[in-house]
Amino acid sequence: MSSPYKIEVENLNAWYGHQQVLIDINMKIKDKAVTAIMGPSGCGKTTFIRCLNRMHELVPRAKVSGKVIFNGVNIYDNGVDPTWVRKRIGMVFQKPNPFPMMSIYDNVAFGPRIHGIGDKKLLDQIVRQSLEMAGLWEEVKGDLRRPASALSGGQQQRLCIARALALEPEVILMDEPTSHLDPISVAKIETLIRRLAEKYAIVIVTHNVQQAARVSDYVAFFYMGRLVEYGPTKEVFERPRNELTERYVTGKFG
Amino acid sequence: MTKLHEWFRHLKDKLVLLLAHLALIAALTPLFSVLWEVFRRGIGAISLDFFVKPTPAVGEVGGGVANAIQGTLITIGLASLIGVPIGIITGIFLSEYGETRLSSFVRLFNELLNGMPSIVIGLFAYALIAIKIGFSVTAASFALALIMIPIVSRATEEALKLVPATIREAALALGMPRWKTTIFVALKGARKAVATGVLLAMARIAGESAPVLVTMGYWKWWFAGFDRPVAYLALNIFLFAKSPFENWIALAWGSALILVVIILGINVVVRLLMREKRL
Amino acid sequence: MERIIDLELRGLETMVAHMCELAHRAISTALHESLHHGDSYDKVRETSDFLMILADQVEDKAVEIILKFQPVASDLRMVKTLMRISYDLARLGRYALDIAYVNKRFNGVRDCDEWIREYIKNMGQKVMNMVELSLASIKDKSLKSVKEISYLEREVDELYKSFLDKIAKDTSESRAIVSSVLIVRYLERIADHMVYAYEALIYMLTGRRELIE
Repeated sequence: MSSPYKIEVENLNAWYGHQQVLIDINMKIKDKAVTAIMGPSGCGKTTFIRCLNRMHELVPRAKVSGKVIFNGVNIYDNGVDPTWVRKRIGMVFQKPNPFPMMSIYDNVAFGPRIHGIGDKKLLDQIVRQSLEMAGLWEEVKGDLRRPASALSGGQQQRLCIARALALEPEVILMDEPTSHLDPISVAKIETLIRRLAEKYAIVIVTHNVQQAARVSDYVAFFYMGRLVEYGPTKEVFERPRNELTERYVTGKFG
Repeated sequence: MTKLHEWFRHLKDKLVLLLAHLALIAALTPLFSVLWEVFRRGIGAISLDFFVKPTPAVGEVGGGVANAIQGTLITIGLASLIGVPIGIITGIFLSEYGETRLSSFVRLFNELLNGMPSIVIGLFAYALIAIKIGFSVTAASFALALIMIPIVSRATEEALKLVPATIREAALALGMPRWKTTIFVALKGARKAVATGVLLAMARIAGESAPVLVTMGYWKWWFAGFDRPVAYLALNIFLFAKSPFENWIALAWGSALILVVIILGINVVVRLLMREKRL
Repeated sequence: MERIIDLELRGLETMVAHMCELAHRAISTALHESLHHGDSYDKVRETSDFLMILADQVEDKAVEIILKFQPVASDLRMVKTLMRISYDLARLGRYALDIAYVNKRFNGVRDCDEWIREYIKNMGQKVMNMVELSLASIKDKSLKSVKEISYLEREVDELYKSFLDKIAKDTSESRAIVSSVLIVRYLERIADHMVYAYEALIYMLTGRRELIE
C-alpha cells in the first residue's frame, strides 16, 4: 500500500469537557514531507496533533470523535491499542524533556527497551543510529553514560528526537520543538527536520510563521478550532486563498 | 520624609527583629531543656550491659533493654510491612485517579485516620485482633500500621505530584502504558520523597506508647512468637519510671535517651536525603 | 493595524509613483518633439538618467524590505511587483531618450511624408493612452482598465506590423525611413513594457500570473 498520504483525518472533532476545541477537521498528511500547522494561540493546533497519536485522550474529560486513519487503520477504532499507535507515531515536545536522571544512552534506549528489545548489541546499534540521524552522535559519542541533564537545551531536544527515532516510527509529530531554543539550535533542528523528511512524515506545530515557511512542504492554517486553509507552502504563502490566512501570515491579526 | 521619621522606622524594624528572636528562644527552650534533661539523666545508664542484657527481674541488679530494643525493631518492622505498602498504594491511587469520587472518599478516610487519637486506634486494634489472639505484637503492629498509612500515603501522593508531568508525557508518547508510567515515574523520580515519608512514619510510631499499651501490654522477656507481646522501648519508659527500683528508673532514662537519639537520628537522615534531591 | 512594514511599503510606492510621473513626462516630451519643433534632448536625458537611479533605489529598498521583514503573501507580491515595474519604467525612460536622440539627429519625423507622420501621431496617441492608463492603474492599485489595455495593445501591434509592411514598399529617401522606423519600433516597445507592467500589477493584486492577449 503506497498511498502518498500517511495519515488521513476525517471529520475530527475534539472536546475538553463541554468546550469544543476542534471542529470538523478533514486533512490528509503526506508521507516523506513536512506539514506545518500554524495559527494563533488557542486555535487548536496542539490539540490536533495530540489527537494524531492518541495523547489528547489522556487529559481528564477529553473527548474525540471522527477518524484518524493511519496505514489503513482508524486509530480510534475499538480494538486499537494506543501504545501501538504511539510506537509508530512519535512525538517531540515543546520543552525538551529527556529523562533527567538517566544517561544519554538510557534515554535513547528507553523506547526499544519497553517494547521488548533487550539484546545489548542491538541496543547499542539502535542508540548509535538514532543519535546519528538526530545529528547528535558526534557531540556525545565520547561518553554516552553522561546524564541527559548535562546537555544544552538544543542538544537535549535533539536527544528527544533521537529517542523518538529509536522506535523507528513512521510519523514524527513535533509540538513547537524550537520555541525554547536559541537561534543556532533552531537552525540546526530545522535542518534536521528537512533531512528527516526524506524518510518520515513530519507534522510540526509552530507559532512562528517564518518557520512554517522555511521548513514545510505543506502548511495548514487553523483558526478557532477549524482548518481554514491547507495547501503547498509556496501557494499558501504567496497567494493565500482565504482572507483570514492572508491576515494571519502578514501579521495583520490583533 | 524627615530624619526623625526615618529614625523611628529604623527603630521599629530593630524592635520587631528583637521580638522575633525572643520568641524563637522561647519556642526552643522547652525542646532543648527536655533534650538536656534526658541526656543528663540517661547517659548514666548507657553501658555495654544496657545494650546486651534483657530486662532485669524484680530485685536483680543492673540489666539492660536489649529485649526492648529487639521488640521495638520487630514491632516497627512488622508495622511497616503492613502499613508502608498500603500507604504507598493509596498514595499512588490518589495521585493517579485523584479526580474520581472514590478518591475523595479515600482522602476523607485518610484525613480521619490521621487525626484520630492513637489510643482510639489502639482500642480498635484491640477489639479487632487482641480479643481474638490475645495481647500480641501482631495487634500492636496492626495499630501502628494504621497510624503509618496516612503519613506514607500523603508523602507518596505529594512525591508523585512533584515529578513533572513532562517526564510522564515523554514516557507515554514512547508507547508506555499508563499504569507502567506511574510505577516508572514513582521509581525514578519519587523514590527519595517516598523514602523520607516512610522514615518519618517510622519515627512517629517509634514514639507511640498508648496504642501499644492497649494491644500488647508489658513484656519482659525476649521475642516469643507473633501471638505474644514483645518488650517495647516506649512502653518501658512509661512503666519503669513508676517503679520503686533504682536501676529500673535508670533504665527508663536510658531508654528515653535511646529513643530520642533514634528519632532524632531518623529526622537528620531525612533532612540529608531531602537536601541532595535534585530532579 | 499598522505594521512596521507598511511604512516601508508606502515609501516604495511613493518612489514608484514618482517614477511614473517622470516616465510619462519624458515620453510625452520626446514624442511631441518628434512631430513638432523642440530641443528637449538634454532634458529628456536628465530625466532618463534619474529614472535609472530611481530604479536602482527601488531595487535596493525592495531587497532591504525582504531582508528585514521576510514578507509573505500580498506584501511579498507587492515588493516583487514594484521592483519589476520600476525596471519597466526605467526602460520607458530609455526609450524616451532614444526617441529624443532620433529627434536630435534626424529631426524626428518632421521631414517625413504626411502618411508617416499621421501613423506616428496615431500610434503615439494610442501608446500614450496605454502609458497613462497603466500608470494610473499602478497608482490606484486597480485593474479596471485591463480590457482597454488589451485592446490598445492589439491595435498598436497591428499598426506596427502594417507600418513596417508599408514602409518596406516605400521609396522615399532613407533618412526619413530610418527615423520613422526607429521611432515606431520604440513606440512598440514602450507599449510592450506597459503591458508587462500591467501583468505585474495583476499578479500583485490577485496572485495570478495572467498574460494580456
